[in-house]
Amino acid sequence: MKVKNIKLIIIAGVFFLISGACWLMPDKEFSESERRPLAQKPEISTENLLSGQLESDVEKYTADQFPLRETFRNLKALAEYGLFMKKDNNDIYIENGHAAKILYPYSEKSVTNATDIFRMIYEEYIRGTQTDSEGRIFTAVIPDKGYYLAGEAGIPSIDYDRMFVQVINEMDYARYIDLTGALDADSYYKTDLHWRQEKLLSVAEAVGKAMGLELSGLDELKQETATDSFQGVYKGQSGLALKAEPLYYMTDETIEGCSTFNFETNEEGKVYDLDRLKGKDPYDVFLSGATALITVENPMAASKTDRELIIFRDSFGSSLVPLLLSDYARITLVDLRYINWSYLKQFVEFDSQDVLFMYGTTLLNDSYTLKR
Amino acid sequence: MIFSSIPFLYYFLPAVILLYFILPKKMANSVLLLASLFFYGYGEPNMLPVMVLTIAAAWGLGLAIPKHRSCFYLSAAICLGLLVWFKGGFAGNVLPAGISFYTFQILSYTIDLRRGKIKPQKSLQDFAMYVSMFPQLIAGPIVVYSSVEDRLDPQMRRTSSEDAYEGSCRFIFGLAKKVLLANNLGQFVSVFQGTAADERSVMFYWAYALAFSMQIYFDFSGYSDMAIGLGRIFGFSFPENFNYPFISKSITEFWRRWHMTLGGWFREYVYIPLGGNRVGRGRWIFNIFVVWALTGMWHGVNWTFLVWGLYFGLLLMAEKLWIGRLLDKLPGWAAHIYTIVLVLFSMVIFNGDTMADALCYIGAMFGFSGSGAAVPLINTISRYYIRSFGVLFIAGIIASMPVSKKLAEIKYAQQLKPAAVVILLLLVTAYLADGSFNPFLYFRF
Repeated sequence: MKVKNIKLIIIAGVFFLISGACWLMPDKEFSESERRPLAQKPEISTENLLSGQLESDVEKYTADQFPLRETFRNLKALAEYGLFMKKDNNDIYIENGHAAKILYPYSEKSVTNATDIFRMIYEEYIRGTQTDSEGRIFTAVIPDKGYYLAGEAGIPSIDYDRMFVQVINEMDYARYIDLTGALDADSYYKTDLHWRQEKLLSVAEAVGKAMGLELSGLDELKQETATDSFQGVYKGQSGLALKAEPLYYMTDETIEGCSTFNFETNEEGKVYDLDRLKGKDPYDVFLSGATALITVENPMAASKTDRELIIFRDSFGSSLVPLLLSDYARITLVDLRYINWSYLKQFVEFDSQDVLFMYGTTLLNDSYTLKR
Repeated sequence: MIFSSIPFLYYFLPAVILLYFILPKKMANSVLLLASLFFYGYGEPNMLPVMVLTIAAAWGLGLAIPKHRSCFYLSAAICLGLLVWFKGGFAGNVLPAGISFYTFQILSYTIDLRRGKIKPQKSLQDFAMYVSMFPQLIAGPIVVYSSVEDRLDPQMRRTSSEDAYEGSCRFIFGLAKKVLLANNLGQFVSVFQGTAADERSVMFYWAYALAFSMQIYFDFSGYSDMAIGLGRIFGFSFPENFNYPFISKSITEFWRRWHMTLGGWFREYVYIPLGGNRVGRGRWIFNIFVVWALTGMWHGVNWTFLVWGLYFGLLLMAEKLWIGRLLDKLPGWAAHIYTIVLVLFSMVIFNGDTMADALCYIGAMFGFSGSGAAVPLINTISRYYIRSFGVLFIAGIIASMPVSKKLAEIKYAQQLKPAAVVILLLLVTAYLADGSFNPFLYFRF
């Protein structure tokens, strides 16, 4: 056989092999590394075809169901970091062993979108319910880990101070709690965007101090291991084979004695749901993760306080709330990404509770997932 | 459908190749035509009738042109009318993909018929296949009818194993240019465009101009490589469209190397019929400006494109009349810098939303901002992105030079070529599987 023919067979062989695999490989439902459902076979209809929807659906479907997709995504990440020596892949950069996402550019409009929603909630439900003359309404902005990593490494980031000032100015009915001094880069998981609960004692203290909480027993909490092999969302997004890390949770009798009620599922449960470790996002171990409305009842508090807290929060709030439980008989967690604020009156009675609006910089800078 | 997409690469193309070579030869044109109509209709179903009817009208009128010259005017009016209708925005924001390319191909056929250079194509199927052939339908190269006439008969077309091998290599090299270089450089362009004006720096503006120039080059020449490669697999020999334009030492040379089939088309069908340069100086200047105004407007009815075309007309005239001799005396590197800088400016104009934007950008490249405040030389944002994309810029610059052509002359490099092609195919696949969807820039023309 001629050399040229052999060369042609090599190239055509690889090409048709990949093509054959595309045609024949069975579809998958879920991507573990990216923690998202994969696109399924699109519906073929004249309407879809004419609107151009079919083309984009087929594009997503064939990319999502590509054979050995994880291996190819890994290869792409290696090419980005290794061959082209780019500092980030899909906006994920590695700095001091941490994977972090570039948060840039700053979106003033998005922050205003969020604070507009908070103001509507304040005007509709909270204004006038406060018995304290100063009002027990608080707000805190949780810096993403880029706050601690990006600046020195010369990685683009938003002007954090500008965001904090904007939140303070646009939420003039709330007292601002500065969390930046209570955290550092190691307060976050290396492979995930979230903070580590075992590193949040100083955050709880900062919140407690601002809100006048005692937080007795905070120093005596026990650290338990939920899993040794937690792989955060940035592992999937970066496409790199990042090392797994442990996920701990902090507990004591009070926390273990608390019960939860999830309005989405109508189910009672516990503060830490270890069954969630097997789910899509192990971080859901904290108060069932992303859910529209959940309450935590603390029977141990009944003897000393009937104080209640309503917290408007994103996923970061789930791991902080257990640390505040000792001071409250009930905490209600509202995630405005999953429930429209106008429906709240059906489930929550606003009556002189403490109120905390606590959101991360990542969400505030892209707040259009909050329901208006 | 887009070449650099999984549905095209791993579903459509292998199926078409298999059908083309497995079915009897007499069905080859039917396979190519049906595949091309599917290729176009899948992405632009609403615009498929426009193309089909244009083809049918041009074919029918073409049969009558040798005897009835008036049919020529009608056919040309249909093509030009459609072009003006859609490009001039009379149909709203609707623009059929590839309309500038396929109408120019039809026009070349119609004009050559009138000139008696070619005979009418009697088979509607073969004519439709010539116009709509998917390898070059959307973004060229512009293939004039006379250059492929003899290959339209499937019995006259042969694909040797060398054609198949070289065609595959060319296709994959083009794909890699698009996916690895153009799309990545496009990311830099997007980052730049997403950065607030007051956070940009002088270096960022220059890097943007360079990134966009290289992006459009790799995007467009990558597409041409893919078209030429696919054409070769199916037994056609499409004309070259780019010949390393960034190594040029004058704008005149640049245009001999950039989008050669468009330049050739205008030369053949507009410039020469107007008298070319065998006329008085005044008329020649007029001819130049007509051709370059049309070249600009071919890309879209927008002031930026018109100015872009006239800018080149002016530079070409200046080189011919005054500075050409001076350029010849300059050291090669100086002439090269002169050309690159002028090309970078042209690309900033080309990509500007408005002329005011384009002029602001060019001003900012020299530190002037619209507000009067000086633009910083460099800042954190631009430093990060220039560093992050640094290797890509270097790779782009190297790939813009005839390095691969030189490598091809080395015997051992030829032995390694299949391995390089397979690696590039796997890398491209990795980028596509990661879900980056980037249509070609020249689809909008």
